[in-house]
Amino acid sequence: MDLKPDFNRFLAAVHHQETDRVPLGEILIDYSVQSKFLGRTVTADDLAGQVEFWTKAGYDFIPITVSMMSPGKVTEESKITRVLKEMVLREKPGTTDPKAWNLEMTSFIHERPDIDKFPWEAAADIDFSKLHAVKKLLPPGMKVIAISGKIFTLTWMLMGFNNFALKLALDESFVAEVFERVATIQFKALETIFAMDHVAGVWVVDDVAFGTGPMISPAALKKHVFSWYKKVGQRCHDKNRIFLMHSDGDLSTLMDDLIAMDLDVIQPIDPSCMDMAKVKKQWGDHICLIGNVSNELLRSATSQEIEARVKELLRDAAPGGGFALGSGNSVPNWAKYENYLAMREACLKYGGYPIKL
Amino acid sequence: MADHMEAIKNAVISGKHAEIKALVTQALDAGLDPNTIINDALIAAMDVVGTDFGSGKIFVPEMLVAALTMKSGLDIVKPRLAAGENQSRGTVIMATVKGDLHDIGKNLVSMMLEGAGFKVLDLGVDLSVEKLIDQVKAIQPDILGLSALLTTTMPEMQKVIAELKTQGLRDKLKVLVGGAPLDRAFAEKIGADGYGANAAEAVELARRFAGVKA
Repeated sequence: MDLKPDFNRFLAAVHHQETDRVPLGEILIDYSVQSKFLGRTVTADDLAGQVEFWTKAGYDFIPITVSMMSPGKVTEESKITRVLKEMVLREKPGTTDPKAWNLEMTSFIHERPDIDKFPWEAAADIDFSKLHAVKKLLPPGMKVIAISGKIFTLTWMLMGFNNFALKLALDESFVAEVFERVATIQFKALETIFAMDHVAGVWVVDDVAFGTGPMISPAALKKHVFSWYKKVGQRCHDKNRIFLMHSDGDLSTLMDDLIAMDLDVIQPIDPSCMDMAKVKKQWGDHICLIGNVSNELLRSATSQEIEARVKELLRDAAPGGGFALGSGNSVPNWAKYENYLAMREACLKYGGYPIKL
Repeated sequence: MADHMEAIKNAVISGKHAEIKALVTQALDAGLDPNTIINDALIAAMDVVGTDFGSGKIFVPEMLVAALTMKSGLDIVKPRLAAGENQSRGTVIMATVKGDLHDIGKNLVSMMLEGAGFKVLDLGVDLSVEKLIDQVKAIQPDILGLSALLTTTMPEMQKVIAELKTQGLRDKLKVLVGGAPLDRAFAEKIGADGYGANAAEAVELARRFAGVKA
């Protein structure tokens, strides 16, 4: 099976075409897994190592995060952290707990006046350096997909979930303004991303559902979140890029809305609450699906069970294209390494077109 | 009387937070029994809200506003209760287990349990077995609610239950578990008394444990 990266392979899958094989697709693979695969340590700063991993493992793209307040990226050194620390110390002198100025641990917008107090300019100071730096490291055929643009999660993180939910019901225009501030920053970042030829798509990672269904009503999502994503989708297509989205949870009642916002790909079809075969049957002609080997299987199953699951997925979702094989979320450090390998190898072994399973 | 009760119930169900205090005050001024207002209007309304949430008819914001409305109503009624009447349906300790910082699900369940008339002590996230056992000894709850969002932290629940047994506390309370990666089979395997797939199911179980008729 050809392991050479070829973004056209992935693009063909997105456009519901069969090529030589089913592409592999992940949004994130823990560095410990990448390190084991390469037999040397790969870190967050080792861009060359990351490119080497995604290339040798058989992927056609490398996902790179470039976003406002990316989880895991808000460090003591971040400009936003420094600005927030100054703000917190100005308002509550003597505060010593670093959580108080960490965007991932503390919410800052509780009432309307907090909107103007929040340092939006610092939050909008997005670091594109990794996205620029990766260009010269890419092998022929490989492209980058920028993980960027989340709106829903950032908004509720800024407000605190309970406060966000209450305000959405009691003071909708207040929440709409926060949505707009976040979306405006994310939307502006797209233009910088689109200026880079090696970036072939934008992948929004935004969990909008629980295992039982949407976190807020489909109507509210459509009004405040999907309306922005529709603009993102249109802009992506104007610039000849693909638009991908990740969301955990049961998206069944949202699928039509997601498709309507010009989304090309949805990942991972959460295996804890959605059935890939049913999703493929109902919506598979209108959107490309990536997933959905359960992370619980990756943690606890045998390699044989993983192979069996991959074969099921290939049989149910791969014929005709519109499918890439991956985990049911991402590949975390607690997945059994041999199970990650089994998932990947089974796809390469049985995923040649035409599918014969 | 029926009009007052219906108005209070509807206000909670539809989250009319701004109106509830006046409605409850009017009901009390009209001579309605405070306990009847609590049980047959405020808590009864939250039962409807729980069912609607469980069935996907309403979502988190609507559910939280209903719970807030219910609490505001309760704040008006409580001072009018006779001494000794202000009793909850039971005490619940809620916590996310060690190694897990997720709290949205736990917070929703806590809110719903309060709405259903339980006294809830939310201990927060990342609770070690030792801390939980100490709190169980100190608070002596009727129910211990444990939450986990990660498959890696689920085993902590089993450790808590094992330690409850070791300390001779297991038979003194019910253990209720929940969280995205769990299922009923896991709950049974670790010896929990119940598993709630969502906040509404968790409340229903707590009611059953407390001997409250649906």
